[in-house]
Amino acid sequence: MISRVQVAYKNLLRKRTRSFLTLIGIALSAWVLVSLLGFNKGYESALNRDIDNMGFQMMIMAKGCPYEAATLMLKGGTGLRYMDESIIDRIINEPEVDRITPMLMQAVFDPNKGESGGLSAYLGIEPRSFSGMKPFLTFMQGGWFDREDSYEAVMGYEAAELEQREIGDKILIPDKNVELTVVGILRRTGTQDDGTIFVPLRTLQKIFDRSGELTTIGIKVKRDANSTILEEKLYQLPDVQIVSLAEVKHTIMKLVSTAKVMVLSIATIAIMIAMVGVINTVLMSVLERLKEFGIIKTIGAMPWDIFTLVWIETLILCSAGGVFGIILALLLSKVADIVIRAILPFAPSGSLIVIDLRLALVTLSIIMSVGLLSGIYPAWRAGRVRPLDAIRSDS
Amino acid sequence: MALPKGRIDVRMKTSLLALFLVAATHSVCWSAVGCDLNDPDRDVVRLFPASTGYKTSYVSIAKKGGEGLLLKVEKRLGDKFRGIYETIDVPYTIYEIYTGNKKIGYIHGVNQKGQFGGIQVFLALDLHGRIQSFYIQKMTSRHAGKLRDAKFGNQFAGLTLKDFDLYDVVTGNATGKVAAIRNPVPEADIDFRAALRATKKNLVLMDEFVFSENQPVSKEGEMLK
Repeated sequence: MISRVQVAYKNLLRKRTRSFLTLIGIALSAWVLVSLLGFNKGYESALNRDIDNMGFQMMIMAKGCPYEAATLMLKGGTGLRYMDESIIDRIINEPEVDRITPMLMQAVFDPNKGESGGLSAYLGIEPRSFSGMKPFLTFMQGGWFDREDSYEAVMGYEAAELEQREIGDKILIPDKNVELTVVGILRRTGTQDDGTIFVPLRTLQKIFDRSGELTTIGIKVKRDANSTILEEKLYQLPDVQIVSLAEVKHTIMKLVSTAKVMVLSIATIAIMIAMVGVINTVLMSVLERLKEFGIIKTIGAMPWDIFTLVWIETLILCSAGGVFGIILALLLSKVADIVIRAILPFAPSGSLIVIDLRLALVTLSIIMSVGLLSGIYPAWRAGRVRPLDAIRSDS
Repeated sequence: MALPKGRIDVRMKTSLLALFLVAATHSVCWSAVGCDLNDPDRDVVRLFPASTGYKTSYVSIAKKGGEGLLLKVEKRLGDKFRGIYETIDVPYTIYEIYTGNKKIGYIHGVNQKGQFGGIQVFLALDLHGRIQSFYIQKMTSRHAGKLRDAKFGNQFAGLTLKDFDLYDVVTGNATGKVAAIRNPVPEADIDFRAALRATKKNLVLMDEFVFSENQPVSKEGEMLK
């Protein structure tokens, strides 16, 4: 015996073009919705991952000091400002602080880098505290320095590639006429560490005659600690500036939220259009089949039977459209990723749209719920058809 | 928690600076490093004063001929590709130089391991592969100034791959015109020889990529003719 689902399916096939166009409308809505939800999830996790890769959530530096190599280069290697190492004692005792790592950045002008010369930058670090904060740093060759005052260097992958260095090779600090032995080459990380030359902190302080001075202190905040409170305390320290990556995340998320609201609006409109499309398609189908419903009723069908028959049609349309839209979103997520990157002011690395099974099921549920709501009125109209009126009518 | 206005400004500035910091960390480029002119608009005119324009193309041994081509290049160079950076997938940038619509030559650079850092050796070649100019874009050495000086570079003008055929990049033994190239700094012999190896490698690669482009290559790296 033919089931209700089969009857509903055959009914949809009667007007193939109309059913197909409705299905496309639902699919597009599902596509937009699942991509938006996937973007919500993907962007934040990508941003978190990038910030985690920084290794520390907060940086302290002397006021006005450029705090990383790119800014230093932009400033032509000038403008470095220094803090006294003693500031560490005041920071480490704060209850919110988990760990710290002191750093000294230095740059020298190398006249033999390009036609007009260029800068070479070095970052003095304590390997133990620095690597503890960046456990994702792994070595392609060698390892960290043996001693804190050794004349050795560890190179980020890109720095080593540019300088064609391998472990055991020497590098020369131009201007200072100091040779360092390369003891480690890091694997690529996709962060600024790739282009950095790391030198033991004490050694760099000695080479550049900056004993007891630092340019930056990286701070890892305890997991449950309130970083805002710590920030407030650190602002009490004289002549320092604080860069909080939690604040960075907040700023970026605020910038992105505008784009999210726009896309959410588009998704809502798309869902509403699809809903109207579903009502239109099913209602037209119902009105065209009034006589047929009348006959079915005369042979014993109850209003609920007609209602469910029409409702199943809506369910088939919505589930097929939803699944199709989710497949479309999965297939085109890379394209959407590229488009979003072109539009947004800042996009972190990694995939911006993450669609998993849970998200797909949530989207499908939303689409089907909305679709079933849309199907209530046409199904109700079909269910309340009076057999004699319907049979007498011309339709 | 409400903050005074000045504090908010400082926070905003630091946030924006840090935003730049995060943005600056994402140069997602995982391929091997090539050798490009730092400022092509300026450098092309300096190396080819008659030029009015240039076109840039990228090629690698991997894409051009794979393992077979690598073996052939190594054989012609007289040395293996060494270390972790001199690999089959290094992208080479070839600048085609034009005067109006007429092509007048090429500029091509290679990376070479030097004593204290990478050396970038560029050659400006005419359409027959003859060196017009020799240019070391980057070198880290106590004596880099002398090796980057025009007097040193001028010794390469007019030389071709044929002149370098008998130059042994491993021992540094040279005959003919290459033997006549003088090292201005005997203490920097490692970098001097690195510059000569880079020049030969550059000429061999250009011959394979451009000048004998249409000759098929066997898997063993021999010419099929």
